[in-house]
Amino acid sequence: MATMTKAGPDTRLWNPEADEHDSISARTFGFWLYMLSDALIFTGLFASYAVLSTPMNLAGGPGPAQVVNITEGFWQTLLILGSVLSYSLASVALKAGNKGGVALGIVVAMGFAAAFLGFGLHDLGGLMAAGNGPDRSAYLSMFFTLIATHGLHMIFGLLWMLVMLVQIARFGFTADVVARLLNLRMFWQFQATVWVLIYAYVYLMGAY
Amino acid sequence: MNLRFLRYFGLCAPLLMLGGCSTDVFRLFHPTGPVADAEYRYTLILVGVMMLIILPTLALTIIFPLRYRKARKAAYAPDWSHSLGIEIAAWGVPFLITAVLIYYSFNGIYAVNPYNPKILDSAASTATAPLKVDVISTDWQWLFIYPDQHIATIDDLVVPAGRRVDLRLTSTSVMNAFYIPQVAAMMDAMPAMYTKDAFLVNKPGTFTGFSGEFSGAGFSWMHFATRVVPTADFENWVNQVQASPKQLDYTAFQKLAQPTVNIGAKPSYFSHVAPGLFDKVVQAAMHGVVYNVPDSLTKGVADDEGKAGAKAPAHS
Amino acid sequence: MHVDLQGPWSPLLGRLTLGAIPYTNPILIGTFIFAATIALIVVGTVLYFRKLPYLWREWLTTVDHKKIGVMYILVGLVMLFRGFIDGVMMRTQQVLADGPHSAGYLGAAHGYLPPYHFDQVYSAHGTIMLIFAVTPILAGLGNIIVPLQIGARDMAFPYLNAVSLWLTVAGAALVMVSLFVGDFSNAAWVGLMPLAELPYNPGVGVDYWMWALQIASIGTTFNAINIIVTIVKMRAPGMGWFRLPVFTWTMLSTNIIGLTAFPVLTVALALLGADRYLGTHFFTAGLGGNFMLYIDLFWIWGHPEVYFLMLPAFGVFSEVIPTFSEKPLFGYITMVAATFAIAGIGWSVWAHHFFTMGLAPNSIAFFSAATMLVGIPTGVKAFNWLFTMYRGRLTITTPMLWSITGIVLLLVGGLTGMMLSAPAIDYTVHNSVFVVAHFHCMVLAISAGIFSAVVYWWPKVFGFKLDERNGLAFYWAFVIGSVLVFVPMFGLGLAGETRRLDYLYDPQWMPLLIAEEVGIGFYFLSVLFFLRMLYVSLRDRVPAKGDAWETGRTLEWMTHTPVPFYNFAVTPQVHSRDELAWRRANGLEEAKPDRYVPIHMPSNTGVPVIIGLLAAAFGFGLIWRIWWLSGVSLLAIMVLVIIRSFNKNEGYILTAAEIEAMENKIETASVIAEQPKRLPLSEVEAH
Ligand code: HEA
Ligand code: HEA
Ligand code: CUA
Ligand SMILES: [Cu+2]
Repeated sequence: MATMTKAGPDTRLWNPEADEHDSISARTFGFWLYMLSDALIFTGLFASYAVLSTPMNLAGGPGPAQVVNITEGFWQTLLILGSVLSYSLASVALKAGNKGGVALGIVVAMGFAAAFLGFGLHDLGGLMAAGNGPDRSAYLSMFFTLIATHGLHMIFGLLWMLVMLVQIARFGFTADVVARLLNLRMFWQFQATVWVLIYAYVYLMGAY
Repeated sequence: MNLRFLRYFGLCAPLLMLGGCSTDVFRLFHPTGPVADAEYRYTLILVGVMMLIILPTLALTIIFPLRYRKARKAAYAPDWSHSLGIEIAAWGVPFLITAVLIYYSFNGIYAVNPYNPKILDSAASTATAPLKVDVISTDWQWLFIYPDQHIATIDDLVVPAGRRVDLRLTSTSVMNAFYIPQVAAMMDAMPAMYTKDAFLVNKPGTFTGFSGEFSGAGFSWMHFATRVVPTADFENWVNQVQASPKQLDYTAFQKLAQPTVNIGAKPSYFSHVAPGLFDKVVQAAMHGVVYNVPDSLTKGVADDEGKAGAKAPAHS
Repeated sequence: MHVDLQGPWSPLLGRLTLGAIPYTNPILIGTFIFAATIALIVVGTVLYFRKLPYLWREWLTTVDHKKIGVMYILVGLVMLFRGFIDGVMMRTQQVLADGPHSAGYLGAAHGYLPPYHFDQVYSAHGTIMLIFAVTPILAGLGNIIVPLQIGARDMAFPYLNAVSLWLTVAGAALVMVSLFVGDFSNAAWVGLMPLAELPYNPGVGVDYWMWALQIASIGTTFNAINIIVTIVKMRAPGMGWFRLPVFTWTMLSTNIIGLTAFPVLTVALALLGADRYLGTHFFTAGLGGNFMLYIDLFWIWGHPEVYFLMLPAFGVFSEVIPTFSEKPLFGYITMVAATFAIAGIGWSVWAHHFFTMGLAPNSIAFFSAATMLVGIPTGVKAFNWLFTMYRGRLTITTPMLWSITGIVLLLVGGLTGMMLSAPAIDYTVHNSVFVVAHFHCMVLAISAGIFSAVVYWWPKVFGFKLDERNGLAFYWAFVIGSVLVFVPMFGLGLAGETRRLDYLYDPQWMPLLIAEEVGIGFYFLSVLFFLRMLYVSLRDRVPAKGDAWETGRTLEWMTHTPVPFYNFAVTPQVHSRDELAWRRANGLEEAKPDRYVPIHMPSNTGVPVIIGLLAAAFGFGLIWRIWWLSGVSLLAIMVLVIIRSFNKNEGYILTAAEIEAMENKIETASVIAEQPKRLPLSEVEAH
């Protein structure tokens, strides 16, 4: 058999040292896979958005150009990037083992995110008040769903940050806590990337 | 190409026996008209080509286990697990077969394309203008509108022999599929849009049409008669229906489109069909007109069909 | 946002009223009594023998991949039985309701099931079989076998593994509850659109279907992540990619499909949910909605899903055939390549499910060609199995019989599948029972893989083999039943019988329908033989060896039978593709480790099963629009997850001496035996 090596006297049959699997790297990889599947959810939503943003889907209601608020979206983009930046500064502080710095970075990131969500709610609220809620047309259904799905991701991230603040205070930088902080950073960048795509595709391309 | 003998291939033989030694039951073995003929021919060709590889493989799947059983002490090659030649053949032969299949499949697509079957391009079928029929599936009946004759029928499709029939299909509510096994390609009927289908039958005959896509409680009763009649008879029939007392404008249509199980698929006939009714139905669906199916029809697990049908009308 | 619901609603109970319980329907009452009796017997036995603490400690809270796998398979088999009963009901209805003169019973005009009941039966059958029977069984096999085949202690994330299991169970439980509280969907397993929208389906049926699927598919996605990470990160030293057993390869490819396809289903169902709950217009016909979008999304998931189920069965054939041919698998590399080719091409063929929707001929041509291409790698697989048997030394055991039968079914299903992929043919048989017969050949090939795997790996898990005589009887009854049901079904398809009919139009179909009903009789026999096989084997319990079939080739046969809860006392070093075969060839198969090292084991936890319960409550609340129940359950899940993240319990250490003692007295270390009671690490530290 081609693949067969012959056994010799010093062939090693058991490998007791092999037991220490690096669980942090497994967890990080697992988290990447989760984000992959989450990215596919957004892919599905983007594809649906593409299908549902033709004139046929407006049902006489407003279309992309009337719905998106480019300037508010622009401020939102800045806010979200600010939030990511601030979280990155927290990770720098993490390298230095600086508890206070990490906490501060996270709190500021949360502040930015909350402001972002405030803008978003204001936006959607305005549309609904004008009678252009998600039940108005398929296009608006899609618009609201896309924005809301991203918003839910942010809220989830905020909750996670809150938990991490408590964990940092209670446990310090244990392996678990550090792994979670790193995964959270990836998650936060992921959600920001999704927003940037939304801004480019839905806002900019929709308006022009 | 005459490949009819292939009918007796493989699976079919036991089927014929089970079917009481008669092939009449097997509608698809009795295609009628150029479209169905072509579909049948492609079926035979493709199955024939595949048999070239499926049958030998099937045979080996039986033979090898018998031949190499331990007890038979046949040749044994404990380490043999690779052979370049066999592996090339294992990819190459299916590849070739698949290429042939794809070739015929492509041909077939254009030949029987329901929107514009190439097979109907011949002189015979273009001599007379096609008969136009607009088909609307409701919950749960088939409405056939003859726009040029201003008549309509329910569950009874009558067409002249030897003349091409061009269909437009839509639905008031949910999806359905128009299906006359021996005659025409199956085609979906969908709300808020329309699809097309076309067929031609040369000789008079009667066929059964079915609904192919499940649509709710009355689905099983959505079969319809299809009668191909000589041209003269067709004219007569049109005249008769034109004298029918029942007329069909949009208001009448809305009543008719209320969910009803038409047990027995009983036909009805209408004269004076409002022009543009078909397009109006398509437009209405686009604007959100629905014909709600009452909960009694969806939930009544213990209700029998008759009662359910009686309860149906309840406006949205 | 106003959603027009017919019928009453109250804040406390939502739409739930006494009327939702079908106490007037004799069939459902009968079913309920049957189910309740079984449940009573099971619960009664557990209580009588005071096994509840044992159940809780050893099973419900376990994170052991083998026990989780066993529970997956158990749930799957129970659901398979439920799906079978649905099949019986459909077949019986159709044979009774053939022709205008057929009689009606129990208030139905024809047959004994009124349309909406029949429609629920087939919708439940399809959903259950694919999602709640076959998927869990295959997930269970993966769970049990993959870590063993790669020489790992456990899955990468044992706790997440348990969560996946209980989410799947929650989904299955919702489907079962729909039998007795309210109705199930009547919009087919695919969720026919716009039929599944509120105007046409105002009841709770579609909601049951939707939430059961949604919750279970989250579990499936987690399980996919887990298996992929396990295979990528946890292989024993020496096990390079091209020494991976083929079953593990197929589990990898299958779960890559799972991970990437299920999110698409999640989107499709979520948008449908928005339509039904929030009054949006994604899939309505009017107001700009586009139900073809749903159909696309569904099949973008749905087609890869069928290969998601098929590939593990291919993996089973690829393990069983070499073992019983006493030869390595022929063409290992091309086998792996073919696996991934199938998985890859499977993504680009989805539109073959709706050739009749009026697509442009050119796109139809694309999807037809893409579909046909799948025949090539599948053919390669078939040939490789054949040439594995060629010049082998075959022992025809029942696992081997099942595998060979699986190949035959694959060929028949493949022939008919390729027919369907040619639009000129599909136009004549689309949505007819010809299609139903095609895919039953395929799902029966999967079932054959499953039965093959269950018999093959049974001794590994339980320590004794299944009785071959009854196994053979089970095999024959099942095969004869399948032939009698599905060969005539091909015929009926050619006769023009469309699918999902509760009343059949043509009395001439009777002979074929009767043949099918006879087949159902054989199926019943097969279930009896199956149960008898379990009973006889359990009664006799002839202990099996580590290498139970004596010709095993892969790592799982190297550890004890039954597998101790720590799998391998010491992680093996891998030298070859078929490690055990290699050791046997070198006379090393009996070699024992010369020293033991401590093993770090995860502790049990009750959190996953509670999450499962809460998820079921969450779904139930949404289905009946009992908002407080869903809100509370969701909140509780989040709180639980957060609390657990504060828990520093990091498992326990099994010392070298203990392992040595257990290795010398292996009976005490079996999967089904109890694990030693051990303090969690964190508490050990605290002392
Ligand atoms: C994995 C998938 C799977 C499997 C295995 C089956 C198996 C069977 N199916 Fe099913 N079927 C579907 C998936 C499956 N089906 C789908 C997706 C549909 C389409 C639904 C739709 O239209 O929406 C369908 C539709 C369908 C129809 C509908 C036809 C129509 O539309 O008109 C019918 C009718 O006869 C049918 C019959 C059967 C029968 C008789 C079996 C038999 O083969 C069953 C055999 C099983 C057994 C004999 C049980 C063995 C059990 C054990 C060994 C375990 C025992 C354990 C305990 C007791 C704990 N099926
Ligand atoms: C596990 C399940 C499974 C598997 C593996 C397959 C495999 C295949 N299926 Fe099937 N299919 C289903 C489950 C499955 N299918 C289900 C559930 C449905 C219906 C869903 C519903 O509507 O409810 C369906 C429906 C379905 C349709 C839609 C029919 C319709 O609704 O009108 C089509 C059409 O193309 C199709 C084609 C194929 C093809 C070409 C394959 C190929 O993968 C087969 C490849 C195998 C071979 C070809 C045999 C071995 C090969 C050789 C020996 C090599 C040489 C041979 C040649 C080159 C021909 N399937
Ligand atoms: Cu499907 Cu239009
Ligand atoms: Cu498919």
